Amino acid sequence: MKYITLAFILLFTSICFAQDKYITKTGVVTFESSLLAFEEVKANNKNTTAILNTENGEFAALVLVKGFRFKNALMEEHFNENYAESDDYPKATFKGTISNFDLKQLSNNSTTVTFNGSLTFHGKTKVLENKTLNILMPNDNTISISGDLKMNVADFDIKIPKAVRKKLSKEIAVTYSFMLSKK
Amino acid sequence: MKKKLQLIFVAIIIASFFAYNYIYQDHRNISNESAVFTTDSKSLSDEFKNNIQDSETKYLNKTIVIKGEVSEINTTDLTLNDLIFCSFSQSMSTGLLQLNKQITIKGRCIGYDDLLEQVKLDQCTLIN
Repeated sequence: MKYITLAFILLFTSICFAQDKYITKTGVVTFESSLLAFEEVKANNKNTTAILNTENGEFAALVLVKGFRFKNALMEEHFNENYAESDDYPKATFKGTISNFDLKQLSNNSTTVTFNGSLTFHGKTKVLENKTLNILMPNDNTISISGDLKMNVADFDIKIPKAVRKKLSKEIAVTYSFMLSKK
Repeated sequence: MKKKLQLIFVAIIIASFFAYNYIYQDHRNISNESAVFTTDSKSLSDEFKNNIQDSETKYLNKTIVIKGEVSEINTTDLTLNDLIFCSFSQSMSTGLLQLNKQITIKGRCIGYDDLLEQVKLDQCTLIN
């Protein structure tokens, strides 16, 4: 009995110590779907949560859709009500893994690495394969991850009314930037 | 005839004035809105943990006043009892804030973060 307890304690503490995580609650995610000559359709979310597990390169991010802020209040309202339907789908998530992740190889110089994962938005999941992101480690307690993605409106089953179809790009440029600190 | 034209002209001006105000309406000002719910950090967090969907329907996009103990302070955000994340539009005068001190905050609920198990609010203002 004693040994079992001891084994459990050892196992438990090793799990605790093995989890090296870098976290941010204020990551920035921006998307833009503007076309030249029409009004800017752009929003950013400064309260994105992201976690990087430095043991295995697993990376997760969560965006609360209501947190996207537009310059134009009416556009923000329409985005939430008609396109993202954020009452029904309040979250957008990313889960993935950075390929061949090695904490020791990170430095103050930005390096480009590849990752695989999946992005969920508006209840639809899109698999992302061999995409790249930039990663650097300015100091022992901080890891910075940034990059951009091109997504298609159709991938997420978002319907655009005919009246505004000409004013919106079908391709959405998503950029992200996370300053993760050690927890 | 001239009068009719004048009338149409005035009508167009009035209509475009309303149209402009509709299209370029102001954002909500959370700090001026009165709270729909007043609660404390523990009970709000419990409510979300028990039933995320119902709580989302109830609280999403609503202005809430929350009382709690400061557990983390950053330049543009703070956390109450490690349960409620509150983000500010401008950087706060952190001199007023102390860790473990009881404060009251008003903000807009944007949802539940299940990675960190925290409720998130944005556009917060410090009430007390």
